[in-house]
Amino acid sequence: MSRYILSRLGQALLVLWIAFTVSYLLLQALPGDAILIKFQNPELGLGPEQIAALREAYGVDSPLWQQYLHTLGNFLTGQFGYSVVGSVPVAHELLANLPATARLASLGLILATALALAIAFLATLAPFAWLRGALQSIPALFVSIPVFWLGIMLIQIFSFRLKWISVINPGEIEGLILPVLTLAVPISAPLAQILLRNIDEASTQGYVAVARAKGASPTWVLWKHVARNALLPTLTIAGILFGELLAGAVITETVFGLNGIGGLTERSVRFQDTSVIQAVVVFSAAAFVLVNLAVDLLYPVFDPRLRKAKGVLA
Amino acid sequence: MVQFKEAALVRSILTLDRRTALKGLAGALLAGMAMPAFAQDAPVTGGTLIYLEQQAHTNLYPPAGGFYPNGGVLNQITDKLTYQNPQTLEIEPWLAESWDVNDTATEYTFKLRPGVTFSDGTPLDAKTVALNYDTFGLGNKDLKYPVSEVINNYDRAEVIDDLTIRFHFKAPSPGFLQGTAVIGSGIVAASTLARPYDELGDATRIIGTGPFVVESETLGKELNLKVREDYTWGPAKFAHQGRAYLDGIKYIITPEDSVRIGALLAGQADAIRQIQAYDEPQVVDAGFPIHAPGTRGLNNAISFRPDNPLVADLRVRQALLLATNRKEIVDTLFSANYPLATSVLSSQAAGYVDLSDKLVFDQDKAKALFAEAGWTAGADGILEKDGGKLDLTVYVSLPQPQNEGVLQLLAQQWAQVGVKLNVLAGDAGSRTLDLLDPLKTPVNVTMVGRADPDVIKSAYYPKNRDWLLQKGGSSDKTSFVDEKLNGLLEGLAAETNRERRLAIAGEIQNHVLDQAYTIPFFEEPQAFATAPYVNGLEFEAVGRPSFYNTWLAAH
Repeated sequence: MSRYILSRLGQALLVLWIAFTVSYLLLQALPGDAILIKFQNPELGLGPEQIAALREAYGVDSPLWQQYLHTLGNFLTGQFGYSVVGSVPVAHELLANLPATARLASLGLILATALALAIAFLATLAPFAWLRGALQSIPALFVSIPVFWLGIMLIQIFSFRLKWISVINPGEIEGLILPVLTLAVPISAPLAQILLRNIDEASTQGYVAVARAKGASPTWVLWKHVARNALLPTLTIAGILFGELLAGAVITETVFGLNGIGGLTERSVRFQDTSVIQAVVVFSAAAFVLVNLAVDLLYPVFDPRLRKAKGVLA
Repeated sequence: MVQFKEAALVRSILTLDRRTALKGLAGALLAGMAMPAFAQDAPVTGGTLIYLEQQAHTNLYPPAGGFYPNGGVLNQITDKLTYQNPQTLEIEPWLAESWDVNDTATEYTFKLRPGVTFSDGTPLDAKTVALNYDTFGLGNKDLKYPVSEVINNYDRAEVIDDLTIRFHFKAPSPGFLQGTAVIGSGIVAASTLARPYDELGDATRIIGTGPFVVESETLGKELNLKVREDYTWGPAKFAHQGRAYLDGIKYIITPEDSVRIGALLAGQADAIRQIQAYDEPQVVDAGFPIHAPGTRGLNNAISFRPDNPLVADLRVRQALLLATNRKEIVDTLFSANYPLATSVLSSQAAGYVDLSDKLVFDQDKAKALFAEAGWTAGADGILEKDGGKLDLTVYVSLPQPQNEGVLQLLAQQWAQVGVKLNVLAGDAGSRTLDLLDPLKTPVNVTMVGRADPDVIKSAYYPKNRDWLLQKGGSSDKTSFVDEKLNGLLEGLAAETNRERRLAIAGEIQNHVLDQAYTIPFFEEPQAFATAPYVNGLEFEAVGRPSFYNTWLAAH
């Protein structure tokens, strides 16, 4: 088991390092840099000599490899530098933006999973063909709804017209209802699709025919036999979606005025705020690695057949 | 841009809203009739104002206050040596009780007001003011502080005694007095200036003498200001000198336009900044006042880079000016709050001269000038000369309102005379780099707000913003030089006699339009909207909000 953990740890570090390096190189390939964008801004009205002096102070024009090693060294010692745009330490910005994203991502995924399960189970157990067809087309509808439109419509209806929920300065729970709903709707679509496909596939398996022959009702078959097997690929997709959600949901954050990782990333990429982007990339890579690890560890929980193969994993 | 498409979509969906609003017009009329009653009451002390901002603030070093979200915060937590009356543009005492300027405007002596303290308890004295201005005027290399745009030729500060300070300049600096009143010259405590520049994005670190203090902040989301109870030093000519009426202000970042406006109309917010011209009707129909103070500087315009051979010929630039139907742009996209420009300078600025007769729309004359300059229409309708097409490029400027729409309408107008204008969005990096190259950007969007004639030099002089990209400026790819213009700009910045200074400003405006360097569109305001029960929202000379005299009526 410990060899397994060590090898996963090694893989994780490799992934983090590659993500860091690739994003660094890509950023350097873009025209301009954060210092140029910030100080060449007409609103500061700085003259050319002043800008040149600042560039020298920030060390922006030193050789690429030198800046790379400098940044890598800082990262390894936990110094993430300063955000050029926000003028605060990067660590502060990340910590300020993390809670909102974590809450939104977790709750969004939970609601999306619930929605997906509801759609899939109802569609499978639907007594009429037309009902089944209608339910099966819901994922396509959900994924077509533009997120910003949904968010704005929910706000207009539930907050401004009906005045049920406050969107400006809400309480903690109140402020999560609408954004989580907005996020969950498009996320539930792929989950529901995968679940429906896998339920259909699992339903063709031999053990299902045996269970039916023994007189089980469709609900029993679905719940006891099919569901667990159909859930496995869905679990993988859910893991990927969660990782994406942790990287931030820009549009939802913008519409609801939440300070999350998505908005932070978008702003940092726009202004080429390298230190923030590097930190976000490393954080997102770490999140994906952890989520993948969790999914891998959960698989044997769902599928007993994988438990026996412990020897392979150890 | 996603923002514009979103707004258009939302507008069409919200037509329902407008019908409902019209049905409620009777109610709104009643509310409108009740409004004078709100205004006549005596100011009520207490309450927290909920203010919705479009973007989060960035660095709060006072010279970075030009960015409106920054200025909106700095204007409440810092005071300046002087106060510029927004109506008369006169400079009045504030933290400085009186001042003396020598004949050559190279020495300014200020007497500070006694009894003023920073929110951390330290007193306001000449030493701290000297530290502030030394930093604004000279920068600080170790802590990476850049210099302030409004302070030119700064030499040093001399502390005469605790409350007397003298500033020395290397050359005449007549614009300095107004420079002490701008947002960029807010006085902060020594502890703030001891921090590296990179840490000033944390609002709790900015210690000033202002009527409000930063209580707490959630980065990127909200900022809480609390009233300073022991405040007794409002601008000298104000009747109100004591603490602000509001108990506190809550700034909430709400990037989405429709949510910001909807929240105001639904009663979830008290005041908002940034409301586009096309959104004004729904706010006005509901009985909420719109405030649109002008920014009193150089108008929203486009400027040319004469180094680019396509626009090097004066006749070409003049033809482009004649081919621009500025009235159509303003009437189509904007409202009455965006007055048509009648000069390069705003009509509310000191030194403005009415040059409407030089800003005429005449397509036939434009075509004649193009022909005279040797341009003839090719097979695709675009003007050609020596094998090259009259194909120009301009980048959208995001801070300017509806800039993409303006430029696209302009492109349509120019297409009618055979000129192609490419409107590019671009990422910040490419944009910043390309703007330094006249060959890539023959046309540029320009605008700057500042209530002093020095603003003109700030815009055109090579060592400042260098709108025309002259030789000796920020770009190393240029050889264009206009000696006459530069001479006039230097004269403007150095002239100590007020009448002569304004006369030079007039000469420069004439010269710029004669040379067709700039095509001004409209006088750019900052648009705010408030709930009817919000009274006393004021604006400094360049449109930044001041909440010192603001109070909330019972509602």
